[in-house]
Amino acid sequence: MTPRVFSPLVLFLVIGFLIGPFFIIVAASLSGGETLAFPPQGFSLQWVAKVFTVESFRESFAISMLLAIGGTAAALVLGVPASYALSRYKLPFGETIRTIVSLPIIVPGIIVGLALLRYIVVPFGMNITLTLFLAHTALVLPYAVRVVSASLNNLRSDIEEAAVLLGSSRAGAFFRVVMPNIRSGILAAFILGFVTSFNQVPVSLFLSGPGVRTLPIDMLSYMEITYDPSVAALSALLAFMSIGIVFLAERFLGFSRYV
Amino acid sequence: MFQNRAEALALALPAAVFAAIVFLAPVVILLAEGFRNADSWSLVAYTNFFSDPLNRTVFLRTFRLGLIVTAVSAVIGYAAAFAIVNLTPRNKGQMIGLVVLPLMISSVARTYAWIVILGRTGIVNQALQLVGLSDEPIRFLFTETAVFIGLLQLFLPLMILSLISALENMPKDAIPAARVLGANWFQVFFKVILPLTKEGLVIGGTLVFTGSLTAYITPAILGGSKVLMLETLLYQRVTVANDFVAASVIAFILIVMSFAANLLLKRLATARNKR
Repeated sequence: MTPRVFSPLVLFLVIGFLIGPFFIIVAASLSGGETLAFPPQGFSLQWVAKVFTVESFRESFAISMLLAIGGTAAALVLGVPASYALSRYKLPFGETIRTIVSLPIIVPGIIVGLALLRYIVVPFGMNITLTLFLAHTALVLPYAVRVVSASLNNLRSDIEEAAVLLGSSRAGAFFRVVMPNIRSGILAAFILGFVTSFNQVPVSLFLSGPGVRTLPIDMLSYMEITYDPSVAALSALLAFMSIGIVFLAERFLGFSRYV
Repeated sequence: MFQNRAEALALALPAAVFAAIVFLAPVVILLAEGFRNADSWSLVAYTNFFSDPLNRTVFLRTFRLGLIVTAVSAVIGYAAAFAIVNLTPRNKGQMIGLVVLPLMISSVARTYAWIVILGRTGIVNQALQLVGLSDEPIRFLFTETAVFIGLLQLFLPLMILSLISALENMPKDAIPAARVLGANWFQVFFKVILPLTKEGLVIGGTLVFTGSLTAYITPAILGGSKVLMLETLLYQRVTVANDFVAASVIAFILIVMSFAANLLLKRLATARNKR
């Protein structure tokens, strides 16, 4: 077979394999039946509506949102100065610091969750929500440093040196000259961090307490007990949310330049 | 370059100290626990772990599935990446978008779809019965096949994206030149494309392999307790048996593998920058 015939066929099959399951989830969530099935039995929005009435989904959604927004913001507060030091200063132990900061991306999340449970939550009686917040911050930190560093490295450093020579303080140069120039990089880091944190499962696996668990963990335990299409409906809604965010980011920021 | 060291440290240390306390210290203590026995250093936990046949099965299965997923995604990845690279720029952008899209969707949602597809009343079983290939539903869920399919779907995009960038960096006329000189497509692949895209293959392969090795959601949903992998075994050891020593051993194995893969990637990246 020549590539002319072969290529479209391959693409059709591969894209079908990658995207197809998503359409099936959407179709299954619009089912009128009582159990998960495809093709869906009739059409109704009952399962989509049910998602919003399940108490635990509402609670865990709020927690996941809080972690994704708060954790990413905290990671940026730590990560932006660190990236600035790494790219603009002769930093002692620079490589070591870079490695420590990017470790959370290499170590499997489940191990981090377990270690935090065993050596921080249990002995010090630390609040679960706070622990989750710290874990998600650590998890997003490598992405924040990587994306913001890339954005700083694309910015010529002589403009801020010029600002300093012209009498601006170092901090003033950062906030008035550097920040406006890396704003879209920071926003891209925020979006990447948000999506990563929101969809994160392994870190949060061991970190759940009474009434405190993240949305993906809640979905996992819900689908163990119930076989109705509401998890499908919720999955579809979340997928649309992620796609929407990434689509907007790409439209307005050229997100893919940073990732 | 600014020279002020104190200022540099003041900017960078909060992040480093935070990561060290919240992340590094607890993980190191957890790993150390696996090497302790009755107040001295020992490898007893490791010999115990590997003397249990179930643990050995899970260990080997995790590696086997990781290798198979990597190999299959490489084959499919080359075909898909090759097809995408040869599209017009506009179509190429759209196709890459479609490959990236699933990466943005929660892996719980992506894995859950396979329950609908592979379940007892799922699409595959309905189709098989409709065509008459089978009279009763075949069990696909909670088999290695289901876990394999789930992992492949999860990580294939990473392989395709790595191979696309490798193929784009290849000299444009290498393939036509080989064709003109009489090579068939088989020779073109093994003598021209493969050697020139080796690095992309290794990068994609490492991402897929470590991803599969450290996957939790896919084996949890599609494998259950019948098809345990290292991460689901770790979870089970802790929640069912409160066995933190075994958990520490598994954690160490996973971390060593992740680090080895990461070192390989870093080495390749620096080798590429030098050229």
